[in-house]
Amino acid sequence: MNQRAVALQLLVFATQWGLMIVGFGILALVVAPLRIQSDPSLGRYFDAAVKAMIALVLSISWLFIWDRQVRLYFYRKREDITEPV
Amino acid sequence: MLPSGWEVTTAILLAIVSFPVSLVLTRVFMQTNARRGIIGIDVHKLSKPRIPEMCGAAIPVTLILLSSAYVLIGGGNSITMLAFSLVVGSAAVVGAVDDRLKMRGIYKPLLTLLCGLPIVALGLLYPNQVYNPTLQVPLFGSFHLPIIYPLSGPVAISVTSNTTNMLDPLNGTMAGGVSIISAALLIGILITDPAPSAVFLYACLLFSALGFFYFNRYPSRAFAGNVGQLSVGAALGALAILSRTEIASIVAMFPNIQNSFFFLSKIKRFTEHRALTAKPTRLLDDGRLASSSDPKAPLTLVRTLLVGRPAKESEIVSAIFALYLISAALALITMILIRR
Repeated sequence: MNQRAVALQLLVFATQWGLMIVGFGILALVVAPLRIQSDPSLGRYFDAAVKAMIALVLSISWLFIWDRQVRLYFYRKREDITEPV
Repeated sequence: MLPSGWEVTTAILLAIVSFPVSLVLTRVFMQTNARRGIIGIDVHKLSKPRIPEMCGAAIPVTLILLSSAYVLIGGGNSITMLAFSLVVGSAAVVGAVDDRLKMRGIYKPLLTLLCGLPIVALGLLYPNQVYNPTLQVPLFGSFHLPIIYPLSGPVAISVTSNTTNMLDPLNGTMAGGVSIISAALLIGILITDPAPSAVFLYACLLFSALGFFYFNRYPSRAFAGNVGQLSVGAALGALAILSRTEIASIVAMFPNIQNSFFFLSKIKRFTEHRALTAKPTRLLDDGRLASSSDPKAPLTLVRTLLVGRPAKESEIVSAIFALYLISAALALITMILIRR
């Protein structure tokens, strides 16, 4: 078993796990309580759509960091080259 | 402390039955499919053995049979079991159609979106019996998602089923990985909130996956096929919603998420592995696997584990299981951190 690769993956997973908990914390404490539109009918859907967009942006940022980490640890120079770091 | 209620005990005892049922059904599918010429070639071995395909159908059949039996003995909520069975059954049908007709890559994500509709429909018809739109977050409490939660149900089923489908490149990786995930989530549920239905379904998934794993482990004597992979992935997605283990399930599926994300980021479209001209790995003359030197090859999890160092198939499978154990441990911590 490639223990070095597994150890690096452990680092990636642990970092992403921590970031994910922070992200959900932001959603729970900051985004969810927001009242963007107070209109009770359509405003409810506008509110949900804006919050979903914020969650989407956070998810994309999370995946971007994941991508950078794996490329940094596993792929040197260019993404196409599969050489050990 | 483990729960001692008879409902949970009954649930686990009945779920254990899924192991022999899955084992026998896999054996039956192996013989039947071999006779009918439903065969795949194990491309990662020098001898290129011919292995019966679509034997993973044993898992959804077992899950649906046992869920029905559980309702018949009065053990579980029939609406929950119906929702679960419909999701798993419809994903199995999509997988079986793909196995036989070889659909284009884009159709699987679209069709598996439809597989999530039973959960949404039954959830709207029977509020609070199928899903609870309050998402529980580790450390930070919870938040209510009355509109977004039901809409994201089909997306969740599509993602879990397709990501499971994508991480079964080597012998036993899907069945072994799903066994580790479901075992971790089962332990988490037993520790935190042992609802009998959730305990039963996770235990059932664990033991039916293990029954199939017996024949699918290295060196494989049975292949799951899309029918097995999509239905097992859909089962994980459905269980995440039904048993309120959404975030823990995401964590447990980290190896799948990484594999799918890097595949899609490189290939930039939904496509089948068979349609790729540049394969992520190559078989060396000594039987070991090496990372492809083709710049167009997708960056898969297996390729990451082969960076700079060729390895035997069994070694890579062990490494993948180690990654699943890591993500399963993180998922378990996540469940403990969620205050119920």
